[in-house]
Amino acid sequence: MKVVGITTQQEVFVGSRTRNFRINEFIIIEDPQQKELMGEVVEAHTFNRYIPLNIGGDFIDNSVLESLKSLGYNIDEETIYIGKVRLLNEALYPVLTGSDIRLPKFHEVKDLMIKATKEEGLVLGTIRNTDDMAVEMDQEFQNLLYTYEDEGLCQQREIPFILDLKSMHQYPHIGVFGGSGSGKSFGLRVLLEELMQHNIPTIVLDPHFEMDFSETASYFEDKTLDFTDRFKCLQVGYHVGVKFQDLSAQDLKNLLDAASNITDAMNNAVDVLFKNRDSFQSFYNRLRMLIEAQEEGSLDKIENRIREADNEEERKAWIERRELYLSYDKTCPYSSVRGIMWRLKRLDNEGIFSKDIREIEEGLQSGKLIVVQGNTRILQVFSTYLLNNLYHKRRDYKDSLYKNTVTDYFPPFIVVTDEAHNFAPKGYNSPSKSILKEISQEGRKYGVFLILATQRPTLLDETITAQLNTKFIFRTVRASDIQTIKEETDLTVEETRRLPYLRTGDVFISSASMGRTIFARIRAAITSSPHTENPFDELKNKEKEDEEKFMNIIKDKLPIMETDLIQLISEIEKEFNITFTKDTLEDRLKILSQKGLISREETIFGYRYIMSNDE
Amino acid sequence: MEKLDNKHLALYEAKGGIVGVDGSTNRVGGAYPHFVEVFQGLAKSTLINEDPIYMADIHSPLFSDIPKNILEEDAKKEKERETKNRLLSDIEVKVALEAAKKYKPYGIIMDGSLIRYYIYSYDLWMELRNECEERGIILLGVIKDIKTTIIGEILGEVYPEFKINAYDRELLFGILDYGEVIVIEDEVNSKKESGYSSVFMRSSLSPTVIGMDIIDSQKPYLEEMSRLVFTLTPENSRGVPLWLDLVDKEVQISDAIMKNLLERYLDRDIYERFFVSERARRTL
Ligand SMILES: Nc1ncnc2c1ncn2[C@@H]1O[C@H](COP(=O)(O)OP(=O)(O)O)[C@@H](O)[C@H]1O
Ligand SMILES: [Mg+2]
Repeated sequence: MKVVGITTQQEVFVGSRTRNFRINEFIIIEDPQQKELMGEVVEAHTFNRYIPLNIGGDFIDNSVLESLKSLGYNIDEETIYIGKVRLLNEALYPVLTGSDIRLPKFHEVKDLMIKATKEEGLVLGTIRNTDDMAVEMDQEFQNLLYTYEDEGLCQQREIPFILDLKSMHQYPHIGVFGGSGSGKSFGLRVLLEELMQHNIPTIVLDPHFEMDFSETASYFEDKTLDFTDRFKCLQVGYHVGVKFQDLSAQDLKNLLDAASNITDAMNNAVDVLFKNRDSFQSFYNRLRMLIEAQEEGSLDKIENRIREADNEEERKAWIERRELYLSYDKTCPYSSVRGIMWRLKRLDNEGIFSKDIREIEEGLQSGKLIVVQGNTRILQVFSTYLLNNLYHKRRDYKDSLYKNTVTDYFPPFIVVTDEAHNFAPKGYNSPSKSILKEISQEGRKYGVFLILATQRPTLLDETITAQLNTKFIFRTVRASDIQTIKEETDLTVEETRRLPYLRTGDVFISSASMGRTIFARIRAAITSSPHTENPFDELKNKEKEDEEKFMNIIKDKLPIMETDLIQLISEIEKEFNITFTKDTLEDRLKILSQKGLISREETIFGYRYIMSNDE
Repeated sequence: MEKLDNKHLALYEAKGGIVGVDGSTNRVGGAYPHFVEVFQGLAKSTLINEDPIYMADIHSPLFSDIPKNILEEDAKKEKERETKNRLLSDIEVKVALEAAKKYKPYGIIMDGSLIRYYIYSYDLWMELRNECEERGIILLGVIKDIKTTIIGEILGEVYPEFKINAYDRELLFGILDYGEVIVIEDEVNSKKESGYSSVFMRSSLSPTVIGMDIIDSQKPYLEEMSRLVFTLTPENSRGVPLWLDLVDKEVQISDAIMKNLLERYLDRDIYERFFVSERARRTL
């Protein structure tokens, strides 16, 4: 192995006749005129000057190559291996062509590769193509993890990638980018498993209902680690919600806006109508009565109602409505009040106001990982309220320390979300965006950190993207996203070129704390997502299930004459409480016969369905 | 003619493999006599991929011993051409000789007619010939561009009225079938007196025909060697066995390499003065 061709102070080419170079491999150049230089392979090529062989424009037929092989000559041996190497530190002079190169020993790269021990950091995976150096690795870095490859579960053979936890204080936020199916969610899962092992208070917004850690992955035969006590899945509207009394007018407006965008007029109306310490009921009633009053159409008509009231109760009620009408009708137009009402009801139907966030706070206080589940829209609403609330609790606590006043302890915590572009979209405002932005810019001071995953980095708010100091970049195919990644990370040209071709689970980790980009493979997660069923399998299974159900219904009715279908429908209705139309019943019988589950034969009265022959 | 099967070829492998020999030249510099010519010969065995035998020589008319006489310019150029042929042929024979000693192959296939070596490198050639005869190494020359006129001459004798004036290559173009061979009777072979026997063969699907020379003492092997050449020739090629094509590719001295070598080993000033032609200098 030698340095070949024209060299510079930053880059050289290396060649070998026997050893294939691998991307991201480290090598040491023994330049006789300078001290040893360390470099990283950034491109690897093989080259055979005879393949494809081409004489007069045509390719050589294989039989000739076979004949040559019989004569002892193997054309493959003409292959030479060439690597482009980028020096980690610029050399004083261009590297001497012809210098020998060698592979580094573990101790020579240890400081470059390992920034923390397993106690101090998150063991996320292995650094690719370091198996040669890992051979003499210290005991403490061996056997920390498994990877899952094409051939199944594999023992660790490479240097581990350990993300230094304490460096988060300096480089707080993490971005996880990658196209669909590239391994983002799996990577997040591994990250979260590690956070749980360190008992770090964490909030996960989980729009996919996939971040459950109770099932051990199928490739681990026996339970290796139990996370049951370290996390909690809570559904918005079912386990957790918003405590209405705690809302400020601004919170409420955010919530309403998240339910469906609100107009300026509605905005004003809320300011006027909402009273501090309002309960849901009191606010709701105020709106309802105002609407009823406004629907009467005029003060005269309301007075009428008061006069003609059947009883005292009704009279009182209309008096109340009159008061509201007098105070608010001018400032709160009927349509706005209706709009607010509609949104409020929508939120209430989703259960948001029936619970509170106490369980979340308690979880965080005891160092747990709290998974908040709900559909994207409701999570947008809820997270706005939740994050504001928690962030300010933590901020108040830190500020009180500074000001020497007393406030309840609230721990530092990490906020994690998939599909982050939905929570902090580029180009338009959304309530959850402002709190995420605030955390991204100031969270570090208070020990509140973000881990944001998205398959569309291009759609993520750019101020926030700029604050993500550590980025995990999985396979990315879309050109616009690759462009964004080019602009937002320090990936080299060669690396961005590789993005569309990365294997699932392989990732570039570009981290300010490492000072360079690392190519890693995410380790095998210990747990698995509750719904790993392939959607197509899911459809298949569903179809099969339906088929079996239907088969059970009609089994005892066979043989069935085409002319008796109407009769049959009412029988089924009676017995099974299921209604078919004549067409659907006929369709389904036809499908069953096409699949050979029953037979269909022609008679002089029309078709007849009978039990299949092979049953 | 049938191609050889792999078992047969494996036999050759066991007996030392086949060596291909070729040479090449390249020159840098300006007009005569301000140039340097480099000659390179290569012998490459099918068996031993490591260290093939390379030899090189260098020549410049500036330093040649031919007397300088402006009036004799043309004669001098003629002499130069001869020198060039001699040096190239010498270097090819030398690598073949080295290969014969070092590799002890079953056979050596040279690129081009064996007659060249007889003409330009007589002493060295006789040495190689003896060496091969002693060791039982078959010596074969494969000719892409047949320059002989044997067939034309015989036709001329038979039909004097036709005044045939053509190379054998042209006369045989498209006449032979794929794999068909014409053996030239020694009586009519002009190379006979130099000690060779020859055949013509259509070795690929292309209509061109190649020639093969073998030293006369090894004439019994001519058919076998023809089959070997046939076997090693891709059907979609111009008829040259692949092995010689590979050797040819490897022996070429590219302009870049030439320039690099000279720039590295000659003083820049001398290099510029002698070897950069005015035209090249202007476009620099
Ligand atoms: N590091 C990994 N090792 C092994 N398999 C992985 C890895 N990452 C992802 N996978 C597999 O690929 C599939 C898709 O990954 P996922 O994380 O769901 O992609 P994404 O969230 O980017 O759409 C997963 O079901 C998982 O089985
Ligand atoms: Mg996903």
